[in-house]
Parts: sequence; structure tokens; C-alpha cells
Amino acid sequence: MKKNFVKKVTAVLLAGTMVASLVACGSTSESGNSATETTAVVDGTSKGTIKLGLVAPLTGVHAEYGQGFQAATKIAADEINAAGGANGYQLEIEVKDSAADPKTSADIVTQFCEDKDIKAIIGDFTSSACMADAPIVDQYQTVLLSPTASNPDYAPMSEYCFSVMYNQSNMAPWVGKSVIGKYMGVKSVAVMYLNTDWGISTNEYLLKGLEEAGVEVLADETYEENETDFSSVIAKLKASNAEAVCILDQGNVPTIINQIKSSGWNPLLVTQGPGASQQLLNLCGENAEDLIITDSSYITEDNPATKDFYQKFYAINQCAPTDHSLCAYNTVQMLAKAIVSIGDGEVTRESIKDALKTTSYDGMAGTVQFDENGGGVRQFLILGVEDGKYVVKEDYGFE
Amino acid sequence: MLSQYIISQVVNGLCQGFIYALIALGFAVIVGIVGLATFTHGEIIMIGAYASYYIFLACGHNLILGLLASFSASWIVGIIIYKLCYERFLEAPEHISLICTIGFSMLLKNLAQIVFGAEKKPMLNVIENQIYKFGPVEISKVQFVIMGTVIVLSTTMMIIFNKTKWGIALRSVSQNREAAALVGINVKQTSMIGNCIGCAMAGVAGMLIGIYYQSISPTMGATLSMKAFSAATLGGLTSVPLSSLGGVVLGLIENLGISISTASFRDVFSFGFLIIMLIFKPTGFVKRKGARP
Amino acid sequence: MMDKLKGFYVKNKIPVWVVLMVLLVTMPLYVSAGNMRIVCRIMLYIILAGGLNVISGYCGQLCFGIAGFYCVGSYVQAILMKTYNVSYWLALLPSGIVAALIGAVVALPALRMKGIFLGMITIGFSELMRLIALNWTPVTGGAMGFKGIMAPTFFGIKMGGASKYYYIFLFVVIAYMFCTNRVIKSRVGRAWMSIREDELAARSLGVDAKKYKILNFMYGSFWAGIAGAIFVAYSTYVDSTYFTLDEGFNVLGMLIIGGQGTLVGPIVGSFVAQVLTESLRFINVWRYVVYAALIILMMWVRPQGLIGASGSILAGSKAGKKKTKKAEKIVKSEGKEA
Repeated sequence: MKKNFVKKVTAVLLAGTMVASLVACGSTSESGNSATETTAVVDGTSKGTIKLGLVAPLTGVHAEYGQGFQAATKIAADEINAAGGANGYQLEIEVKDSAADPKTSADIVTQFCEDKDIKAIIGDFTSSACMADAPIVDQYQTVLLSPTASNPDYAPMSEYCFSVMYNQSNMAPWVGKSVIGKYMGVKSVAVMYLNTDWGISTNEYLLKGLEEAGVEVLADETYEENETDFSSVIAKLKASNAEAVCILDQGNVPTIINQIKSSGWNPLLVTQGPGASQQLLNLCGENAEDLIITDSSYITEDNPATKDFYQKFYAINQCAPTDHSLCAYNTVQMLAKAIVSIGDGEVTRESIKDALKTTSYDGMAGTVQFDENGGGVRQFLILGVEDGKYVVKEDYGFE
Repeated sequence: MLSQYIISQVVNGLCQGFIYALIALGFAVIVGIVGLATFTHGEIIMIGAYASYYIFLACGHNLILGLLASFSASWIVGIIIYKLCYERFLEAPEHISLICTIGFSMLLKNLAQIVFGAEKKPMLNVIENQIYKFGPVEISKVQFVIMGTVIVLSTTMMIIFNKTKWGIALRSVSQNREAAALVGINVKQTSMIGNCIGCAMAGVAGMLIGIYYQSISPTMGATLSMKAFSAATLGGLTSVPLSSLGGVVLGLIENLGISISTASFRDVFSFGFLIIMLIFKPTGFVKRKGARP
Repeated sequence: MMDKLKGFYVKNKIPVWVVLMVLLVTMPLYVSAGNMRIVCRIMLYIILAGGLNVISGYCGQLCFGIAGFYCVGSYVQAILMKTYNVSYWLALLPSGIVAALIGAVVALPALRMKGIFLGMITIGFSELMRLIALNWTPVTGGAMGFKGIMAPTFFGIKMGGASKYYYIFLFVVIAYMFCTNRVIKSRVGRAWMSIREDELAARSLGVDAKKYKILNFMYGSFWAGIAGAIFVAYSTYVDSTYFTLDEGFNVLGMLIIGGQGTLVGPIVGSFVAQVLTESLRFINVWRYVVYAALIILMMWVRPQGLIGASGSILAGSKAGKKKTKKAEKIVKSEGKEA
């Protein structure tokens, strides 16, 4: 009898929680339930606040990057606000967690769009989520600026879709032709690439560049994103006897480099995708020596250009920033620049979109601007790793 | 050159297979002795990996300490799992404890992300890079250590299960709970110890995986639960030696399959193996009757 | 409390239904567009959890792979619409039927299995479906997915956007409830429930367990497929990352919380799960920890779920599993005598 009573009480309590949550959810509506970022500088000359929405995976498998977005955008907004704001407007960022689930992302973006105060949206992390969001921002005519969406189909989906991360059709052929062909001067290469939209399109463009430079591709292997054991792929590449190995991946690159070295093979290594971050150096240790990596900058404490960002980021997240976070930082800067260029005009969603199209931002990682589709165009350095540090081998604009 | 390539694929497959074998072994011990399956094996592997990571950070690259750390950490988690998911449901329909373990796996995974941080952590060069050559066969020191550890642990398990009083008690609970109770064995406590042994095996596997792949993350255990189950089907989920063999077979099939196609088909091979085993031999190759379903 | 609610409902059936219908049909009028998206998500999961409920709740077949059927339905719809230019409405049924056929294929090897083995084979097939979607690039678009799947027009009104597409969801949910109610009350439903409670006893009473199990899988996967089919035009974009095992476990979690083995269970489960997700946003990363703890708590306190079939084996009936306790008692009493 007692057990039944306990069960009934618990059932009622659970039902009660349900109802309470419903009430809580209903009363706080769209702009509640989320962390509001930045401490607005109280300044007599401030024109008011412009609100931006940030949709990113704070939980789930990509939590590392979403949390990186959160920290990086906060750093950028704080810097801008402390310097007087964007054309006098203070920036405020509202963050919501999409867990990189495209459905959730689309719902959050809808909520942001419904909130008249939000003038532009930053996010999401994965191309899948961004592509699910695209029809919504197109309908509501609000800018969706993703730091990292790299599916070439994303930006053309709507004139409101923008992405900072390089469009593969610019970067990958350059890597093939100028980096591997000309700078490294090798005659043969073995390529391994990630089986995602980013990896597949990067590989396609890379092969074109390699063909143009006359470099022979002796192996072209792909693998899943959640792969942990690369020994079989590495064995295949080794059997091809190529002079160099080109790794097209993001999160797995350190693991791959480590496994190549521990298999007793020492080919020339070049990689595109992970970004020149401190994390890569930490995870690879001395295995990263002589690695060639292309990026728009390198984010370590000893790079005077990125040192400040690095330290601020580390203070918030207790880990080193990656290229993805740098791109997130850039999004806020670019939006601020767009707002500044509106001048005395009214800052609306439409005017931000128009201004963003022609915005060019010169920051700690070269110049960033958008092509006619809204895809990001960045400048790239050729970096090497020597004595555990990044060294600039060739500056921006190497052909 | 081709034979060199095939040999290296076989060696890779064996090494991976040995890791799977250890995981499957632990899984089979749990299913056999507790009588209930688990979905949280992958997360225990992760806990073991993190335990050894922190010990290496604190005390340097001492393998024995790492082993002890991962063993004890997962043993403790095993006790928690037993109390939370199994003890109450030993007599209940099996789907209830199964779903409990699913919930626990979600809990552990997300808690780990919060406590340890979501980013990958490096486990660099715990064992130095050295390649040994035996004729045409090349094995790295890491692979050697892994295979050695797995062999030592499995043999120890075999000896415990067959020669010691405790081990025989464990086996008898696995074979027939009622009969075991009738001869005076404390079934509840024995089940818990069995669970903890299985978890500890998984924990050590976690350390080995961390050393082999040189990095760990809170979500590293996700696919490993499935691999454990796939491998253990060879032994009908309960036979320890056959499950280990299943692990080795799985590793070989995956790697050789990849070598003739592409690495993005790895999961196709492992799930294919699972489905084929379940269709044609769901009770494994175990001959005896009365083994738990 | 349940009895009181039931009693009220039985006495005032017609007014309750009228009020409910009015509320549902006019929802877009009093709910904002942002919240309509949440409503649509709840509806989607009602259908998915409903399909799973038929397989797992009514027939007791442990199924972790509902995402696989969801995947098949979505992709068939997308392929028919984009590659073969079939109209949205004509493509719906074939998508569901193909999903049902896959369900039959999965059911065949599963006939001899129970418990975790059955669960594992559903996982295997679910992953296989996802991997095919990911790798069969010429047909499914591979990692690039399918984009630009447009919402249909209904008598001239374009159904895009949550507020309008809601009606399609509503229609399918009502269709599901209506059909499933009839099926459950028929011979088929009774056969399913008898298989769930005690397959051996059911067989001895002449129930063709094989036939009914296959039918059961087909019925559940049909609805999961339909859910997938209507989902693609709502989202306009789909790729294989939507159909991971996590999604399958997500749906299962809703069913566990809401209740298995009753018609209302999936509705409650989907509703509670989405409400919890939204209202717990303030604790951020702890959300999933709470969700997981809730699942474990449910198993401890009420395994059949909030509005589940109490009195069925889902509630953890203890019949027939007491032998070990008896044995222990014998040992203790013998020890005392000696």
C-alpha cells in the first residue's frame, strides 16, 4: 500500500513539474531562458543597444566549438563596446544552444527572427544547421552570418546567408597549386579527407589545383568524421609511396599526425582545415615538427597579433582558441563595421544586410570580405612548425 | 610491397582487435554474471581513459599507475551502475534495466563534458615511438604493449574464473542463478563483483585506447558500446573466450574491409558483421545449454 | 487522479472533443510563430513516438532504431519530389509504404529474438540506413544532403512556414490517432498485446506470433516513415546527420517519460520532453544531465511512463521471476534448522 502511495505522489510531482515548466516556458516567452552576453558600457553618448542573436552548439558533440563561439563573440563585443560601441551603439548578444541539431537550430532562428529587437543572427556551427536555417532567414529577411559554414551550397541559398569560413573554391585549388605544387615542390602526394560536405568539396577543388600544378595524386582516401583509428588509411597512403601527405580535416588532424608518426613513417606533411591553433601544437607535441599548414593566421600566445585574443579566450574557456573561434570573433567585428558604414541611416535588418555585402574587415588574420554569394573570402599564409612554434613561411598573397 | 601493405593492415587489425577483445570480454562478464545487458560500456571506457589521463598528468607516464587508476575508477563506477541500474531490477523484465543503463550513459557522457571539458585532451607519447621488425612484420612498441596487456589481463581472468573459489562462484552465478543461490552463494554480491570486474576491464581498455590514439574526449565511448556488443555476439554475449575472439575477428574484418574499400565504410563492416551474426547465429557459437539469453 | 480524469472524460466526451478541436485548429491564431515551431516539433515527435509506441509499447518489441525508418521515409519523399518531380501529396504514401517494407525486412530476422538482441538488430539496421544515406551519393546526395524541398500548396495556399505547415502535422497526428485507435481495439491489437505480455502463452492460444510481429513492425515503421516524409518539406533540407542513433534514443526517451502502451503516452511524452528542453535552457549544459536523471528516475518509480499501461509487463510485473528469492529462503531456513 505504501509503495502505491509513494508512486502516486511521485507521479503527481512529475506531472506538477511538467505543468510548472509549461508555465515558466510560457511566461518567459521568446527572449527569456537564455544568457545575455556583454556588460554594456554605461555611457552618456551611447545611442542605445543593438541586439544580435547567437545560435551555436553549447552542448553535444560540437560543444567545444559552440562554447568557443560564445567566448569569442563576447570578447569581440566587449572590445567594441569598451571603445564606444559600433557607431555609438552598444552591442548585446543573446545566446541559445542548438546542440548542432538542425531542427533545434531552425526553431531558435525562428525565435530570434520573431524578436524584433534582434537585428542579425550569428551562427550556426555546422553547415547542416545553417542550411536548415536558410529558408527561415530568407523569409524573415534577417542576416544569418555563420563563422564556419563551409558547404558551398549554403551561402547562395539566400542573399541573407553569409559565412566567414573560406569558400573551398578559392582556397583549396590554391593549396593544391601554390602550396603543394610550388612552395613544397613535391611531385606526388597522397590525400586523405573527411567524408563530410566540407571535406568532399575541399578535396574536389584540391585535386583540380594539383592537376594544374602537375602533381601526381597517388592516393585519395576518405573516412568518417568519428573515426579514431586511422592506421588502415595510413597504411594505404604509405603503400602509395607518395612524397607528401595532405590531410583535409578539422578536429581529427592532431590524431592523424600522431598516428602517422607512430607508424614509423615520415612523409612531408601538409594540412588544410584544422587552423593553426595552440591546440594542435598541444595535441601533437613534437610530432608536428616541419608540418606545413595554411591558415589566415596562427593563434598562439607568441603571435603578437593574436596574443590578446588568445589570453582573453583562455581566461573564459580554460582552453586555447581555434580558427573557428577566430571566425566567430570576426563575425561580430564585421557586423560592427557594417553598422558603422550605415552611418546616420537607420540600423535595420535590411540595412545591415546591404552594408555587410560590401564590408571588408582587416583584423588579426588578414582581410575578410564576402563574394557575390555571401561566402567569405580570406587571405592565407603558409605556416610551418619549428621548435614547437608556428613560423610564417610565406606571407599573404603568395601565388 | 603489396604483401607489406597487407601485413601492416593485419597487424593494425589485430591491435585494434585486441582492444575490442578487452572491451567485449568486460561486456561478456557483465552480461553473463549479472544476467542483464548494458548500454553504458562505452562511457566506462571513457572514465577509465580520463582516470589514467589525470594520473599521467600528476605522476608522469607510469603505466602501472595508469592501469591501477583506470581499474579502480571504473570499478567504482561499476558499483554505482550496479546499485542504480541492476540491483533493483534483477527480477524485473530486462528492458527496464536496459533503459536505465541508457539513461546512465547519457548522464555520464554529459557530466563528463561539464566536468572534464568538451575539448579533446592529449595523451602524448606515453609509450615512446619505436618500431620493431620481425622479418616482414613491423609492430610498434605501443601495439606491443597493448597486445601484451590484453593477453595478460585475459589470461588472469581465465585463471581467476577457472581456478579460484571466487571465480567459480562467479561462473556458477552466470550459469544458473537459482542453483547458485541454493548452494549458498551470495548471488547479489557476486553479481556486483562480476559487474565491477567487467567495468574494470573496460576502464583499462579506455587507458589503452587513450594511449594508442593519443587523445581522449568525453564522447569517445559512443560507438564502442556497439562494438563491444557486436564482438560479444560471437560468444552468445556470455562466453568470455569467444567474446574476446569475436573482438579480434571484428578488428580484422574492419581493417581488412577498409583496405579493400574505403575507411568511410568501417561502420558498414562492423554493423554488417553484427547483423549477419544475429541473423545466422544469435546465440553465438556457444555449445552449452542453459546459458543466459 | 487518473480515474477521476477518466471519469470526467467519459461523462463529457462530446464537449471535451469540441473544445479540443477548436483549440487545436485555431492555434496559429493565438500562438506566436516562434512557438508554433515548437508545436510543430511536438507534433513531429508525437508521430515518431507513436510509431515507436506501437512497436515497443503495444507489442513489447524493443526497438532502438526508429531513426532508420524515419530516415527512409524522409529520403524517399525527397528523392521522389526532387529527382522524379512527383508532387508532394502523391509522394507521401509511397514514402510510408517503403518505410513499412523496410520494417518488414527488419522484422524478419528479429522474429526469433527478444530483448537486447532485438534492440541490437534494430540499431544495426538503423545505422545501415543512415550509412546508405551518407554514402550513396548519386541517389541521396551523400554528405551534401537534399536541399530545396518545397512545401506543397493546398488549394492554392502555400503551406510553408510553421503556422501553415502545422495543419499538415495536425492532420497526420489525427490520422495516426484514429487509425491506431481502431487497430489497437481490433484483433490485431489484441494479438500484439498478448504477445507483449507472454508470447508463449499467446502462441499456445493460437496466435500466429510471426505474422503479427511483422505486421507490428510494418505498422510502426509506416508512421515513422510518414513522419519523415512530411518533415522534409517542413525543413526544406535534409541530410544523414538528422538520423543518428541519438535521435532514436531521443524518441525512446520521450516514450519512456510519457508512457508506453497507451494512445496518449506519446503525446504526453513528446509534450513533456519539448517543454522541459525549452524551459530548462537556463541551466544550459546541465539540461541533458537532468533529462538522463529523469529517465533513470522513471524506471525506478514508474517504468511504464507517466500515462503508460499500468498493469502490463511494461510496469515491471514480477510474475514468474521469484525463483531465486525462493531458493534463498530455502537456504536460510535450512541453515536455521541445522
